[in-house]
Amino acid sequence: MSAAASSSKPAAEPTAKVAEPLKEDENQPALGVLEEDDEFEEFAVADWDDSQTNLAHLGGTVPGSAKSKGDKLWEDNWDDDDIEDDFSVQLRQELTKKGQGVEPMQH
Amino acid sequence: MPAMNFSTFLMQIADALRGEKGPELAYLLKPIEDHGKSLVKEFRNPTRQSLSYYEGSMESPWDEIAIQYVLVVNHCAKRRAIEAFKEECTLVSLFFRYFTSNTGWTLPALFSILRDLRDLAYDADLEGRQRGQEGTENMEEAARVISRAFTICVTDRQSPKAESRRWGVYYVVGLVLKSYFRVKRISLAKNILRAIEANPDIPALHQYPRSHQVTYRYYIGMLDFLGEEFAKSEQQLTLAFYHCHTGAHRNLVRILTYLIPLRMFRGHFPSRDLLDKFPVLDDLYTPFISAIRKGDIRGFDASLERFERRLVDLNLYLTMERARELCMREIFRRVYVVSQKQSRIPISSFHSGLLLAGDDVSVEEAECLVANMIYKGFVKGYISHEKQTVVLSAKSVPFPPLAERATPYATL
Repeated sequence: MSAAASSSKPAAEPTAKVAEPLKEDENQPALGVLEEDDEFEEFAVADWDDSQTNLAHLGGTVPGSAKSKGDKLWEDNWDDDDIEDDFSVQLRQELTKKGQGVEPMQH
Repeated sequence: MPAMNFSTFLMQIADALRGEKGPELAYLLKPIEDHGKSLVKEFRNPTRQSLSYYEGSMESPWDEIAIQYVLVVNHCAKRRAIEAFKEECTLVSLFFRYFTSNTGWTLPALFSILRDLRDLAYDADLEGRQRGQEGTENMEEAARVISRAFTICVTDRQSPKAESRRWGVYYVVGLVLKSYFRVKRISLAKNILRAIEANPDIPALHQYPRSHQVTYRYYIGMLDFLGEEFAKSEQQLTLAFYHCHTGAHRNLVRILTYLIPLRMFRGHFPSRDLLDKFPVLDDLYTPFISAIRKGDIRGFDASLERFERRLVDLNLYLTMERARELCMREIFRRVYVVSQKQSRIPISSFHSGLLLAGDDVSVEEAECLVANMIYKGFVKGYISHEKQTVVLSAKSVPFPPLAERATPYATL
């Protein structure tokens, strides 16, 4: 199927929309394509191979499998135990003050 | 193509039929092409009656289809969308008479006239609204007509497999679903989905062209999402995402808009690489993701408030509100880390964490929140209410990685 054959409405010019500031509601972020009363578009071609998809990122694993190891598009291990941001520092102080941070509790 | 008169038009149709040239046939039936304009000039104010002279000029139903085509292009040229849509409905019905007794070579023409039908229905509803008629009857009618095409595709029992009309099934279903979404009547989608299930002869989805697969999976994923079948939705949208053409940027944005929050519950967060490719999604989701990573519940709530209208418009508000528990998990996990990963942690420590993060709750509420986290599988352990202590699991990791929770959607 050619691009011309897969018609439907010509896509609206997204740039025109972005350029216009949202006057009434500036606090709302502009979401470009998501704001238009538009729908899932016709693809320009009917079929394509793996090389034109994001499948290569999976490195042979099944899409949606529990681990996204090697898939640079998703991260699944980010529980950091070495936390030194303000929150953790304050939390440590707070718990130490209450005697709950450093010493193991006796029961 | 030079200006075309009606007899050339008929000859070209005959030629496309003889050679079984699907794409050519599709082109000839498109209302917006140049040959349509030529035909508008050839016939002034044509009616079915004034054109009846041409009946029998070629094999039925193509004489009538050609006549219908002239009526459609004429209404289009005069900007009479409602009439154009009605005549296109008749054209499509006539086409079905031919389609029913032919093989899959006709599918490009079918797809094309059904797309035109939908576009004309959209314009017709718009024209109706300008005349003060509320409603979406034209688009609903289009969906009904397209559903008939589905039946004709499915019931092909004669054609050899490679030339079967069944290869049109998923594309046509995609168009039906698109139409129902357009008019927000998605409950009507159930019938056609049931019809697919009832026909085990339909080839497996992965054997179809990728454009058919991805569109179908997107809409099924959206139906599952709206029906709060999150696990199913995540599966469909994941497949849609990975099989989508990387150049179809706007479609990828639509898929990811729902896939990103769904995957967050499974502990899969979009990487910087991914977000950099989609600035719109970066703007929308990064504030939430950063808040979750830092256990910044104040920041999370502020983002929820700030994006409220957008999220409501996208049917995403409730989902993102539920993602707040991912943020709370991080607060509790930090309490655990700062408490040097002891196996017993006083509830008051979790309470301190919540207060510090800006969630102004009582000790009793904090206890309740911890209980909730245990129930949902974010924390392994139990609460000793008398000792006001959380006893963490010795056998398993007390704060298992999000990706390891068995049923992340069961307790949403």
